[in-house]
Amino acid sequence: MRADSSRVWWTCLLLVLALLSNACAPLMPPPGRGMRLHYTPHGVVGPAFAEGPSTAPGPGGAEGTAWRSALAAHLAFRGAVGDVSGSTRRISGELSRLRASHRGIAGKAVGIFVRYVEYGERQLRWIDAELAAATRLATTASEVDDPDMQLALLRLAGPRLEAAMMGSLLLAVWTDFLLLTDAMLSQHLGGVETLYVKMERWQKMMEPSMNALSSLEPGQVEAAARDVPALVGHLTDEFAALGEAARKGAEVLQNVLVLKETIEALTLMSALRFSLPAVRPAAPAMFGMGLMAGPNGVMMGTRVVVSAEWVEMMRQLVRAGVISLPAVSAAVRIQAGQVMMAESNQDLPQGVRDALGDGPEVRGMRVTGRAGAGMAEPPEHHVLPREFREWFEQRGFTGEMSIDQFCVRLEQSSHQALHGGGNWRLGRMWPGEWNQMIMKALRDAETVAGRPLTPSVILKIVAREMKRHNLPVSFVPWRGR
Amino acid sequence: MKEGHSWEGNWKGRLYARVREHGYDSLTAFAEARPTLPLVELAQELGGDDVNAVQVFSGLVAEAERSNRLTRLVRSQLVRELWESLPNGWPAVLDDEARMEVAIAFGSWSAFTPVTHEERARQVMAVLLAKPPPSGWRPLGPDDELLLTLLPDETV
Repeated sequence: MRADSSRVWWTCLLLVLALLSNACAPLMPPPGRGMRLHYTPHGVVGPAFAEGPSTAPGPGGAEGTAWRSALAAHLAFRGAVGDVSGSTRRISGELSRLRASHRGIAGKAVGIFVRYVEYGERQLRWIDAELAAATRLATTASEVDDPDMQLALLRLAGPRLEAAMMGSLLLAVWTDFLLLTDAMLSQHLGGVETLYVKMERWQKMMEPSMNALSSLEPGQVEAAARDVPALVGHLTDEFAALGEAARKGAEVLQNVLVLKETIEALTLMSALRFSLPAVRPAAPAMFGMGLMAGPNGVMMGTRVVVSAEWVEMMRQLVRAGVISLPAVSAAVRIQAGQVMMAESNQDLPQGVRDALGDGPEVRGMRVTGRAGAGMAEPPEHHVLPREFREWFEQRGFTGEMSIDQFCVRLEQSSHQALHGGGNWRLGRMWPGEWNQMIMKALRDAETVAGRPLTPSVILKIVAREMKRHNLPVSFVPWRGR
Repeated sequence: MKEGHSWEGNWKGRLYARVREHGYDSLTAFAEARPTLPLVELAQELGGDDVNAVQVFSGLVAEAERSNRLTRLVRSQLVRELWESLPNGWPAVLDDEARMEVAIAFGSWSAFTPVTHEERARQVMAVLLAKPPPSGWRPLGPDDELLLTLLPDETV
């Protein structure tokens, strides 16, 4: 366990380093990183994971392959959560600092600006809550020894990670606005009223996307993810304009210098920093061409946009169906800077998409995951029977693990068969009805075990029964009433 | 990971067509020739993705009802469950972890036990826990001596 957490810690640290150094243009991988982070299924697996569950299937055969790819997805998931947590921690630090900035944002104009810091804190709270929930799901996944169920749990956690990732990018931009406003207020570089009105406007611009992301509604999250690059692009313009306005407002040379220093000293949280020297969209042809996947990651000219490790991590997650390619693409576009951000409908070059895990089967997965070709989605069915909600709650199925998270979509024929309808039986003495059967399996197992079943054991039993019924081990949240 | 199509169309006809293709005249004969194979693998071997384990078991129950051999089927299913959950045989020590594996095997068995045999199955579980079989015990089929003692066929 200790080795595990120190490894996770290392991963977080390295990813934060990667992100930090990203923001400062030249990205040289820190020494040793290349040896530590391997997300490929064939790569070296860290010692903590190699120790893994003692019953782990051997490396051979289809089972071994499934196990390895679940493990790779798991590592990548942990890495991505660590990545986002790293940036929320930094944002959290900045927000606390801003709250105490009595000469600036917290003190000016009888504290009317404090609400904007609070807005940031509220966003931070839901992002952190989603990250925590995603982490708990990943932990449960690591305790389940069925690779299909492991992947199913990671996929269940995927939308939370995706929302947190996009939310943290937006929140970083918001924090930058707070930092700049704080600097301007404390240096008397801008009119209080003007700044207030502007902050109000920016918050309004950001709110719909933030709300959509925090809703966790897959359709909304995906739409928001698509919009975020353009939004960030727009905000970047506003940010630059604010700086410009302040510069013009600063009449005395002394003030100009102060402003310059102030802005340069800002430890900007977001992608704004390197997109600020705006590449004006003068030569549209180069945007798509400018980005390419290489051994160091995704490059724009000589600049590393995202590191090779990040790309590999995302590739694993996209290919495992844990997070969606549009969200990852959006993150890359934001990292690539203003021009790519503003081109909301412009897709990444195919080479970069390939590096991020795009492929026919991934696209296929997405089509079946949604309403298909405009067809109505088949109804959802609770895998853990609703009549026994309380029984499951008492055994840890609450919150992100609520039984409402564990539904499957079933076509009519399977659904009837599951409930013993449609004259499906052959024998009479064994009804084989799903709800009865699963509860019998769980209750008798608990009686024999002599102690309450843990969620991971329950899910193991459920995975087994699902396979016997030929149900795909893949869940959708309950949306019905 | 797609939802199987095993429930579509005339699956009962499909099931028996597959049995005949394999050269057997009953599902029971096909299954008894593979006494230790877990149910999912049995269905897989019979019909790939076209048939599923629940259908196979349902067919086995129907045949056993007709031939009055339900008890034998219950024993056969316990054999499959044990091979699936305890591939190394009965644990030497029933510590928490081992007991949980046994519990999972028994739970699954219980779910795949006809209603007529539920009570007897519970007794078998209780006996096996109270008086554990030798370490490494792994019955090879429904005629295993210990199983026959625990769950003998009814003399009609």
